[in-house]
Amino acid sequence: MGKEQFYEEYEVFSRKKDGLSLEHRFSLLAPNREMAFVMARENFFRREPIKELWVVKRSDIRLMSQEEREGFKKLDNKAYRETKGYANLPKLWKYFEEKRETGGVNP
Amino acid sequence: MEVIHYRELTDEEKYEHFMERIENDEKIEAGDWMPDEYRKALIKLISSHGASEIMGALPEKEWVPKAPTIDRKLSIMAKVQDEMGHGQLLLRVAEDLLKPMGKNREDLLQDLFSKKLKFHNVFHMPSPTWADAAIIAWLVDGAAILTQTMLLKTSYGPYGRALKRICQEESFHAKHGESLVLALASGTEKQKQMLQESLNRWWEPLLMFFGPKSTKDIGHSSVDINMKYKIRFKTNEELRQEFLTKYVEKIQLLGLTIPDETICFDEEKQEWIYQQPDWKKFKQVVSGNGPRSDARISLRRDSYDESEWVREALSDYKNKNQSLVG
Ligand SMILES: [Fe+2]
Ligand SMILES: [Fe+2]
Repeated sequence: MGKEQFYEEYEVFSRKKDGLSLEHRFSLLAPNREMAFVMARENFFRREPIKELWVVKRSDIRLMSQEEREGFKKLDNKAYRETKGYANLPKLWKYFEEKRETGGVNP
Repeated sequence: MEVIHYRELTDEEKYEHFMERIENDEKIEAGDWMPDEYRKALIKLISSHGASEIMGALPEKEWVPKAPTIDRKLSIMAKVQDEMGHGQLLLRVAEDLLKPMGKNREDLLQDLFSKKLKFHNVFHMPSPTWADAAIIAWLVDGAAILTQTMLLKTSYGPYGRALKRICQEESFHAKHGESLVLALASGTEKQKQMLQESLNRWWEPLLMFFGPKSTKDIGHSSVDINMKYKIRFKTNEELRQEFLTKYVEKIQLLGLTIPDETICFDEEKQEWIYQQPDWKKFKQVVSGNGPRSDARISLRRDSYDESEWVREALSDYKNKNQSLVG
């Protein structure tokens, strides 16, 4: 009776409380989306309270290959996109402060 | 670091890269390249762990209708449900590993019914009294917690994530067990005797739970392979010693007697000396020839067969309404 395609893989996401992002919980097998939702509640939220619950069919997610995942590790030299790329600013401010103290700038 | 182009690598290079990742404590994910030996070791470990959770719910399940108070009924019911949930998580992890081999959950269940898929020795044993429910939750879960905590750092990412969740729930199981044992140990003479008799029944299976010390005892062991790939980090004996350190004193404190006159801590060697369990019996039990093996496996099979109509109905519904579902 076509059991191979009977179950499908679903990924479960939930938000613990307001202000938090959705987090991946785990995956489960279910024959359809509604059952996946019911089973996600039963499997993962028997005690802890949650604000929101999503189930997504795994085949609808664009997953990464190992090569892609390992390629991500290479992302470096991106300091210019972050505050830490501008660590020299206090030194520049100091220059002006010293100049004022030695009377270089009008009071 | 260079970008790896998997298709251009030879098998040896892939293996080398894989081992480098293991050495660097990277987590391996389901779709990653892995040596066959690693995949097989994971499948064996995780599918029997999953089967143990499912079969492990059965000895306690017998006590759900007979729990002495409504509070006890609620907590043992919650525990039984948790164990089934653990089974769900672990089978899911095993299924993703089995996928490239063309196998699925159905195959795992059939293997369980045919005794090809093994589960822990303790879940083949009878639980004739309420004190057995207490000893199981306190000590069997206590033993399982030691094993599962050791596995938390496992190199296989999905297994580690499942275990994290399982361990959180296990801490409730341990408290539930402690509470049951403390109630009986401070009860009537009859209750104390019931607890002692249950400990007598469970002591040998508990020592067996961790598996034999050396491969000599049962002929083969996957511990070495699992350690090589950082799937696990401690030997069977190390875990058993931890168990004794954690529980022997507590058991004695409750006024119970451990059914082993030789048990003592060797200060010089810094290890527990104890009567070795009968490893031949162990092998026999885990092969599906324990006192309750057949009854519990057939209970599981009956429940599977009886729910076949639900799967049939859902399957028909799905085929007829492809556009409505999923
Ligand atoms: Fe469990
Ligand atoms: Fe448990």
